[in-house]
Amino acid sequence: MNYQKESLRNALAAEYVLGTLRGGARRRYQQLIMSNQTIAETTWLWEQYLNGLGEQIPPVAPDDAVWQRIQERLGFVQAPSATPAEKVASRKPVHWKNSALLALAASILIAVLWTNLRPDVTAPITHIAVVNDLQTNPLWLIEISDQQLRVMATDQLSAQPGKDYELWIVPANGNAPISLGVLPKRGELKAAAPDSLRSVPINVLAVSLEPLGGSPTGQPSEVLYTSHLINV
Amino acid sequence: MEHEELFPLLCATADGKREAFTRLYSITSGQLYAVALKMLKHRELAEEATQDAFIKIWHGASSYQRSKGTVLTWMVSIVRYRALDLMRYHNIRNEVVLDAENQAPATQMPLPTSERRRLAECLDELDQQQRQAIHLAFYGGLSHQEVVAHLDTPLGTVKSWIRRGLQSLQRCLSL
Repeated sequence: MNYQKESLRNALAAEYVLGTLRGGARRRYQQLIMSNQTIAETTWLWEQYLNGLGEQIPPVAPDDAVWQRIQERLGFVQAPSATPAEKVASRKPVHWKNSALLALAASILIAVLWTNLRPDVTAPITHIAVVNDLQTNPLWLIEISDQQLRVMATDQLSAQPGKDYELWIVPANGNAPISLGVLPKRGELKAAAPDSLRSVPINVLAVSLEPLGGSPTGQPSEVLYTSHLINV
Repeated sequence: MEHEELFPLLCATADGKREAFTRLYSITSGQLYAVALKMLKHRELAEEATQDAFIKIWHGASSYQRSKGTVLTWMVSIVRYRALDLMRYHNIRNEVVLDAENQAPATQMPLPTSERRRLAECLDELDQQQRQAIHLAFYGGLSHQEVVAHLDTPLGTVKSWIRRGLQSLQRCLSL
């Protein structure tokens, strides 16, 4: 599809904001928002057009417990020991696809084993991530401390010739992705941890396919994989 | 609940001021919760969406910019996306919807802003069926298929009502 065409851009943005764009098309559109500024701006325009509708319905005050839990989750107040009611209210999605669950379990297992086996380094590791391919083979292992970003390519990675892979932060607030640099295709790479790793709330990490040397535009060319950061 | 009132609170929130965030919550949470509740229909899910939205607002306050709409519109966008995600995770189907709940609101909010008034005027200009299909999708979070079931109209017709309705809305709003 030609996303450059204005009418198509508007049609997709409108149905994304309205919520009628579903399934795979919705997920693909979310990736487009991350990688294409014009598409992001068209989406904001439609949020302005349509979401005013949400301001026209009469407000309903939420239960006080909602504010209480927000404060707990943000660390403003200490959480009391969980009651059954809270467990229900904060229940997590139950409709995981098996493959996603397996991939997650595998990532965590690898992450845990790997954290335990790793030799001592000066600054403690705060986060790790495993970038898997679509068959859930681990391609890169990433560990982050306050000082260092360390990335290791696994032997599962068969890099495309004439291409580089670039690592990005996808901010939780919907802002444009921030590059963390080109990934190693073999061996390991150590770099000073960029400030953006600490200062920007992160949704996911993304890996894009790029011409040699990295993205020519400053934005991901083609997002291949995403990976969640795991607190350790 | 106007932009002029909310914007300084959001700026202070971006600056890590908890009192401002508390005030922002107390002013806007009713509106966000109402949006989530209308879409998700279940209290616990609407509470989850509201919580998640405010967590995101706290962390993302500094990413707000005027081109994303008024502060309230931006916040409504956040809670709607979260509600749509939760519908997908929990496999919520909107097969049965009470008519009265998803029609245009009977009473307007007091003192609508010029933007809200303009939106209402432009919606009034749509064909009745286009407007109804858009309302069902927006307020009830219905998919194309669910609108089809609700209105007992073929899929192609529903898609075309929504598409053409949105096009007319844009033409009207960008005048």
